[in-house]
Amino acid sequence: MAADKSTKEKLLSALNDIEVLSRELIEMLALSRTQKLPQPGEDTQVLELLVQRDKEFQELMQTAVEQGRIHQEMQQLEKEAEKRDSDIQLLQKQLKEAEHILATAVYQAKEKLKSIEKARKGSISSEEIIKYAHRISASNAVCAPLNWVPGDPRRPYPTDLEMRSGMLGHMSNLPTNGVNGHLPGDALAAGRLPDVLTPQYPWQSSDVSMGMLPPHHGNDFGLEPPGHNKENEDDVEAMSTDSSSSSSDSD
Amino acid sequence: QMAGVLETEEQARNRFQSELEFVQCLANPNYLNFLAQRGFLREKPFVNYLKYLLYWKEPEYAKFLKYPHCLHMLELLQYEHFRKELVNAQCAKFIDEQQILHWQHYSRKRTRLQQALAEQQQQQQQAAPPHGNPASK
Repeated sequence: MAADKSTKEKLLSALNDIEVLSRELIEMLALSRTQKLPQPGEDTQVLELLVQRDKEFQELMQTAVEQGRIHQEMQQLEKEAEKRDSDIQLLQKQLKEAEHILATAVYQAKEKLKSIEKARKGSISSEEIIKYAHRISASNAVCAPLNWVPGDPRRPYPTDLEMRSGMLGHMSNLPTNGVNGHLPGDALAAGRLPDVLTPQYPWQSSDVSMGMLPPHHGNDFGLEPPGHNKENEDDVEAMSTDSSSSSSDSD
Repeated sequence: QMAGVLETEEQARNRFQSELEFVQCLANPNYLNFLAQRGFLREKPFVNYLKYLLYWKEPEYAKFLKYPHCLHMLELLQYEHFRKELVNAQCAKFIDEQQILHWQHYSRKRTRLQQALAEQQQQQQQAAPPHGNPASK
């Protein structure tokens, strides 16, 4: 792009030219008073140049005025642009705030949904809970019977007797010798064992658990549950649940 | 008894019963002592089995348990330290005593409440002395 001279430069150079030309003209006029012109027609030439330059000058002034007006417009537009900019920035801030609030709200809502799902997963019918509560209380499994005194063979865990009478116990075909010093059959016959020890042991209520299957396993452990079916007679007494010295065994 | 990958439904049901019984036996500290003294608690397969038995904590299985104490014992048994301590008869005895005391807690509380109520009623009767002869009516 050709380096255009600025309007100011052009104006100044035009003024310069006019100054030079008018000086020349005046000199020529001054000279022509006393002597003839060295070159005829030079004065008209200079005059023409002068007129030309003046015309240029006028045009340039027009341009300058126009440029000034445009410049003013530009400044106004710039101011407006600035205002719009600050408006946009304000909106941007507000948008960011709103986004933040929404993000928080969404996050909290998600957390709430998660806990709702969790609660739903763990929901149990009140009937089932009551049934279970009855099951573990009625057999005195979690709360001692009110008339319990030391010597009472009942416990919050399956006793020797119960263990033997269950499925595991029967699998081992144990000889029924001297548990706690007396055989179940005998004691029953003698009427000295309370009803709770008669063979109505917990796991014989298999009607409830019928149809229930245990989880699969890949036989990692490959070991039979130890205990009953691995015993020999000598171990029988060692397994006695008569741990408390306070239990008095009558025979 | 521990079936391989394929087992019949009957075998599975039997396994359910036996595992149900066995896991509840774990509530008996004397039985735990017995197992510890015979070294079962040191065997890796047995430890794996104890971990496998944790499925009894799930509600659909737990509802079959009559002796819920066994679940607490099962959880403790996951720790080697606990398994080691169970070799001591004193440890088992201590657990047994605490377990029984805990078991009696509610009944004792109830007895205390009943006693307190009885005393209160007695005091009320004494506070309002009978006047006159009811028979004179």
